[in-house]
Amino acid sequence: MSGAVKLSARGISKSFPVAGGKFIQAVRDVDFDVHENEFCVLLGPSGCGKSTVLRMIAGLEDPTGGRMELDGHEILRPDRERGMVFQSYTSFDWLTVQKNVEYGMKLNGVPSAERRDRADKFIDLVKLTKFRNAYPKQLSGGMKQRVAIARTLANEPSLLLMDEPFGALDAETRWNMQELMISIMETTGTTVVMVTHDIEEALFLADRIVFISRHPGTVLQDMTTDFKGGERVRRKEDVLTVPGYAEMERDIMKLMREQGSEEEQEA
Amino acid sequence: MPSPNQRRRTWRWFDYKKPIPVHWAIALGVACWAIFFAIWEISVPLGWVTPLLVPPPQKVLGALWILLAERDFLSDIGVSIYRVVVSFAAASLVAVPLGIAMGAFRSVEAFFNPFVSAWRYLPAPSFIPILLMWFGTGDMPKLALLFIGVVWFLATLVMDHTRSVRTELIETALTLGGNRKQILWTVVVPAVMPNVVIAMRQMLAVSWTYLVIAEIVASSNGIGAMMMRAKRFLHTDEIIAGILVIGVLGLLFDYLFRFAHRLLFPYLEEHGR
Repeated sequence: MSGAVKLSARGISKSFPVAGGKFIQAVRDVDFDVHENEFCVLLGPSGCGKSTVLRMIAGLEDPTGGRMELDGHEILRPDRERGMVFQSYTSFDWLTVQKNVEYGMKLNGVPSAERRDRADKFIDLVKLTKFRNAYPKQLSGGMKQRVAIARTLANEPSLLLMDEPFGALDAETRWNMQELMISIMETTGTTVVMVTHDIEEALFLADRIVFISRHPGTVLQDMTTDFKGGERVRRKEDVLTVPGYAEMERDIMKLMREQGSEEEQEA
Repeated sequence: MPSPNQRRRTWRWFDYKKPIPVHWAIALGVACWAIFFAIWEISVPLGWVTPLLVPPPQKVLGALWILLAERDFLSDIGVSIYRVVVSFAAASLVAVPLGIAMGAFRSVEAFFNPFVSAWRYLPAPSFIPILLMWFGTGDMPKLALLFIGVVWFLATLVMDHTRSVRTELIETALTLGGNRKQILWTVVVPAVMPNVVIAMRQMLAVSWTYLVIAEIVASSNGIGAMMMRAKRFLHTDEIIAGILVIGVLGLLFDYLFRFAHRLLFPYLEEHGR
């Protein structure tokens, strides 16, 4: 399922100024590629700078070193080619579900008839058809994230970015959302880069897992989930019994443990 | 025989943060007012106060009736409402856009904030003498006082609310292809509007306060002026009637703003539409 290179990150570094004129290096020399139609997960311990990498892909932060390209063009600023879904809920309270999903298209001057058709399609895709005219305050957390996903996809980005999108949801809703992502991938064939620290989530969703080390974040391992044999597993429980799953989970847990927790590092 | 775990806990008067039955809540609120009026009513016959300084409630209501029916008090009330509404509208027209711009753009904030903050600490009533010299005795000095009493505080409140519009909302719009102008009008402004209306509601109460000060100090009409006239003739019942009317008007405007808030932002209701 890996086609041409879609996103390439080469030697990406990022340091932030801190008090006393010093700099803290969050990310160092990050290299990886994401291919067409691939689901790529940036995995790593908390505070490893994986979210910073994602924000740089979005163009919301500038790297202090290195170069990032999408479809051969250097990423310089945020634009509609790289739509982002955040962990916190970002549906606009003052717009109905329908208007939320149409929002990006409206910004980009899509005519209203086409806007409505495309919004309908993606609202159906995320199974919110019955809630088309509801306002976000009336929706559950999982539904709000589905609005955010539909809104981003309806805008037809070249790359879908997700920053721990299911982190705030309860366990049952989370795996429902993960299964929804699989069906979205099958329907739309979009390319996704997602940040998570949840190993199970990474193994279920990812075609490629880029493991980022702790502080300063750099690529420790770039793995493909070959044990799935190039197929996407539709149900969360089914992936557990695929041969090779347990081994890969164990390897990643080892990596996680070697990186240690933040408390141990500071002690 | 009821099992032990079905026994209801007895309700007590003083339980930390525990809700009380609704009818009790209403009864307690009414009781406080009833006690207030009762003490007021009996304080003259019991000789606690002189009736000249503290007229009993029915005398105040009687005075209010005479003021309205025979002394054209309605036109005083009208003048006062006109002053509050016009000056408040002018202050809002300046403060709301300024506050949003200051909250949204750090450069605008850096330019205006030292100026706006300094003006906030100048007590508006201290401008009364100079305003009288500039504008004479008409409506203008009162409108100006109410304007400067409200505009700086409202701008600061709106700025703070705009600053706390969540960054993720703006960043979402950026990654959907929005430019700065689009994001200002389709994200920042709609996100902050409910809080702007709340800030306006709070500042309107301040506006009423300054109105009374302006009318008491230097005015020939308006509710405050009526109260000063009444003082000259020792008509304490009319003074208290004036206080009563101001209170009722304040409450009424507050209610109007609450109502407008519900009308303008129905999407904030969590249940039903």
